[in-house]
Amino acid sequence: MRTKKEAIAGWLFAMPVVLGFIIFTLGPMLASLVLSFTDYRVLIQPKFVGFDNYTNLFSGLDPFFYKSLLVTSYYVVLSVPAQLIFAFSIALIMNRDIKFRALFRSIYYLPSIVPAVAISMIWLWLLNPDLGLVNSLLKSAGLPTSLWIFSEKTVIPSLVFMSLWTTGGTMVIFLAGLQGIPRHLYEAVEIDGGNSLQSFTHVTLPMMSPTIFFNLVMGFIGGFQSFTSAYIMTQGGPNNASLFYVFYLYREAFTFQKMGSASAIAWVLFVIISILTVLVFRSSNMWVYYEGEAKN
Amino acid sequence: MKRRKITGDILTYIFLLGMSASCLLPFFWMVRSSLMKLSQIFIMPPVWLPNPVRFDNYAKALTVLPFNQYFLNTVIIVVGGVSGTIITSAICAFAFARLRWPGRDFVFGAILTSMMLPYAVTLIPTFIGWRLLNAIDSFYPLIVPAWFGGGVFNIFLLRQFYRTIPMDLDEAALIDGAGYMRIFTQIIMPLTRPAMVVVGLFSFMYYWNDFLGPLVYLNSDKNFTLSLGLQLFRGMYNAQWELMMAASTVVIAPVLIVFLLGQKYFIEGIAMTGMKG
Amino acid sequence: MKRRIALFLALVMVLGILFSACGAAGPATSAAPASVKPAESALATPAPKQPVTLKFTYWGSPIEKDAVVKTMANFQKKYPYITVDAQHIPADYETKITTMVAGNTAPDIAYLGEGLAFPWAEEGKIYNILEFLDKDTELKKESFLSNIWYDWAPGKSIGTNTAVEAFAIFYNKELTEKAGVTVPITADTAWTWEQFVEAAQKLTIDGNGKNALDSAFDSKNIKQYGVQFGTWWAGWLWAVYSNGGDYLNADGTEFTLTKPEAVEAIQKMSDLINKYHVCPSPIQSKALPAPTVSLQSKQVAMSIDGQWCLLDLGAADFKFGVGVLPKLKTSITLVLGSPTVIFKSTKYPEEAWLLYKWLANPESSIDLQAGGLWMPLLKDWYTKPELISKWAENNAAHPDGYKDAIMKQTMTNGVPGPSYTIKNFAKIDAIVGAALEQVWLGEKTAKEALDGIADKVKPELKGRYGK
Repeated sequence: MRTKKEAIAGWLFAMPVVLGFIIFTLGPMLASLVLSFTDYRVLIQPKFVGFDNYTNLFSGLDPFFYKSLLVTSYYVVLSVPAQLIFAFSIALIMNRDIKFRALFRSIYYLPSIVPAVAISMIWLWLLNPDLGLVNSLLKSAGLPTSLWIFSEKTVIPSLVFMSLWTTGGTMVIFLAGLQGIPRHLYEAVEIDGGNSLQSFTHVTLPMMSPTIFFNLVMGFIGGFQSFTSAYIMTQGGPNNASLFYVFYLYREAFTFQKMGSASAIAWVLFVIISILTVLVFRSSNMWVYYEGEAKN
Repeated sequence: MKRRKITGDILTYIFLLGMSASCLLPFFWMVRSSLMKLSQIFIMPPVWLPNPVRFDNYAKALTVLPFNQYFLNTVIIVVGGVSGTIITSAICAFAFARLRWPGRDFVFGAILTSMMLPYAVTLIPTFIGWRLLNAIDSFYPLIVPAWFGGGVFNIFLLRQFYRTIPMDLDEAALIDGAGYMRIFTQIIMPLTRPAMVVVGLFSFMYYWNDFLGPLVYLNSDKNFTLSLGLQLFRGMYNAQWELMMAASTVVIAPVLIVFLLGQKYFIEGIAMTGMKG
Repeated sequence: MKRRIALFLALVMVLGILFSACGAAGPATSAAPASVKPAESALATPAPKQPVTLKFTYWGSPIEKDAVVKTMANFQKKYPYITVDAQHIPADYETKITTMVAGNTAPDIAYLGEGLAFPWAEEGKIYNILEFLDKDTELKKESFLSNIWYDWAPGKSIGTNTAVEAFAIFYNKELTEKAGVTVPITADTAWTWEQFVEAAQKLTIDGNGKNALDSAFDSKNIKQYGVQFGTWWAGWLWAVYSNGGDYLNADGTEFTLTKPEAVEAIQKMSDLINKYHVCPSPIQSKALPAPTVSLQSKQVAMSIDGQWCLLDLGAADFKFGVGVLPKLKTSITLVLGSPTVIFKSTKYPEEAWLLYKWLANPESSIDLQAGGLWMPLLKDWYTKPELISKWAENNAAHPDGYKDAIMKQTMTNGVPGPSYTIKNFAKIDAIVGAALEQVWLGEKTAKEALDGIADKVKPELKGRYGK
């Protein structure tokens, strides 16, 4: 009896997003799937071409496909863990009882508000190999300098490094999560004589695992689709070493006017992200702890 | 032991100050550029303080950018979008986090896929849909979707937070005869206020800064938003940096204020610390 | 419950198919008004007519926007029955216009990048401007410059540029005078490459005040660069043209940047950076402001750029000059721009043509011409003194020498850029541009880089338009 009532309530509560998905999202998604099997140039009737768009990509006929896939994967592999660890560490510090906490918190969020062009300008100067502050500091410390975003080898790591400054949103989510951990759990560890490392591994990490899980999933869904700041600073260069996948796709769609091929490119990404998401969700049973389900 | 703690503290503060400096830099750069002559902005090594200070950049920027009209339009979209997002994403997240119903995980997976396809290829079909509804050059395409779940990101985020609350609370309330709506509004919502504030903040930022939506759906000048207006300063071959930075400073000021107000809530407004598990 | 879900899914499929079908069918219906033929003749003073609204989309800075708003008001004054709904698209023009067109809400007349205009014209979605010109009593094809037409097939033309742009040298007069350098302004006195390099060396000064000809010159510590050029295609292609080379062969079936004359020209451009150190590398350029500003701030003495920079130079507070590009074999300039088009879907081709003509008349956008941003489309404005005086002299944006170095050069030695004819140019250039980045950085020679991509470019060669 109750389960039936609950089932109806479930559907009712979920109704806005179910309807929204059907009305606003599903149609366009399916449309792009259909278009990925056509030669479509917007003004012109789509011509059905079978798997041509896909074989063009995978056979290497398109000179940018593998390159941008590689570049983007490299970025995701580096940036997702780096951003998570960095934002989590900052959130942990911000959650401690330090002076001017509110001020620091606001300051750390600032780069997420300032327009991307302003941030890019600063980085272009800081990381300039000849005149930049970073290289002159490295030089005076006797450390090797770098070409940063101007070399094919270092451009992606440099962009990952810069991306840490705009993880304010992730930090805020972690902070909200940390606030939700009941004090008494920490008190319990203290009573048992545990030290701060133990309270971190036994309380903070498990209690934060749902938030970490969320940021992980969003991190790589977003990572695969990021390109704005990289585009402003490098325009995809040098020699396509920072040609991000979605920028490549966007260019194919709107500059080269190959909407069919662009749809195929998008659906390849869709499949990659879906597989990864499923894998992460599968793994979550092993490491994500939900208080709300512990006693079910 | 104590000495180690003090050195640790000092190191922490040094780190915090260093980070603060680097986070303040872009903001500072924006503000100082907004007060400079164009030729001064890019001098290397950089000139830190504008000389002379040119406040009239602001006056000029605001004559190019019809601030009042654009501000009003932006506010309408932000209010409509943010309220829709907060209300409907919370409702939907409740369904996915606290209720058991057939097809729940499948539906959740399905809506999650809407984040996985880059918008570049769904833009045109979506636009065609809105055109069929005759809603081009109106705010509807920008606001209405917010009232249908407010985006998977927010639902997923709230779902994660809702799931950290012990199930016993719901069970007890059900036994007391409470309905699901009451559980949602009286138990879940108050306990997850920080997360709600985060959703509010993020969706505020999203609607305030959204550029592509207004670009595609709005045609006439009278409907333009601030983020669209900022693009005015980016010419075909040349950019008026000093004006763009002045306008940007004005446009992000409200975001800053909202953040300063909001961040108090998701930190100090916690009533759940004593909650029993 | 299960049944209801199934019902849902069925509904979803139907909706999805409906959406995609509409997407596909939309553009097809837009072809319907195409049968409307342009009117017999467009009268100068129209008889009272049904009110007509034309949708016009354009891009540009606030200055351009103001000028367009002004000229539209004048147009409506002259043709009271026409209302122009001018929509300024501040950024991402391609995205917006593509969406509008796909959604069957195309404007009647619009600025349009050639990368979009050509394929659409080939599919018959854009008017052949020659059809209007043939019937027009006031304006002939011969009235326009001959090197600014976008022909997609013989006798079929999208039209001309919205405005003419050309490449030249812009320099800080104080710096050239100090170094004793005179920048030539006429085609027959143009610098040879050696003279150009020497001038650039004289104008490149290190932190100790020594120039690049001095044996003690410190190339690691340059305070003032002799010359600067942009690394996008227009920045170096003029040198290839001047050396007798081209991007592709005449029928567009062969990639000819790998030929010796093209390789030589590109290598010479690279040598300015990597051998003579008279030009900032891409790394050093990132630390420099926009070319017009670096001229004023004396970080650069000469800048090779499009003539649109006169707008900024004219407004800046320093003495600048213009000169012709150096020559490798022949003296040329590169002409470029992008077209204004009339969409076939318009219900009012006659009125759209009136507006097209209005925009083509330099008189109606005289502020932009005199301000330095645009050059006129019509020949008379390059030859008749009373018309020249309206834009190319006696104003801050057009210094002495302009008429020879840019105006005459454009008309007599102006070579249209590759985007006037090459099919699939945007994609080809994306491949070439990326490879050349290695050349500008000094990591590869021009020959290595261009030979390395020849195979990648080949499948993208689709010929030339207008053949």
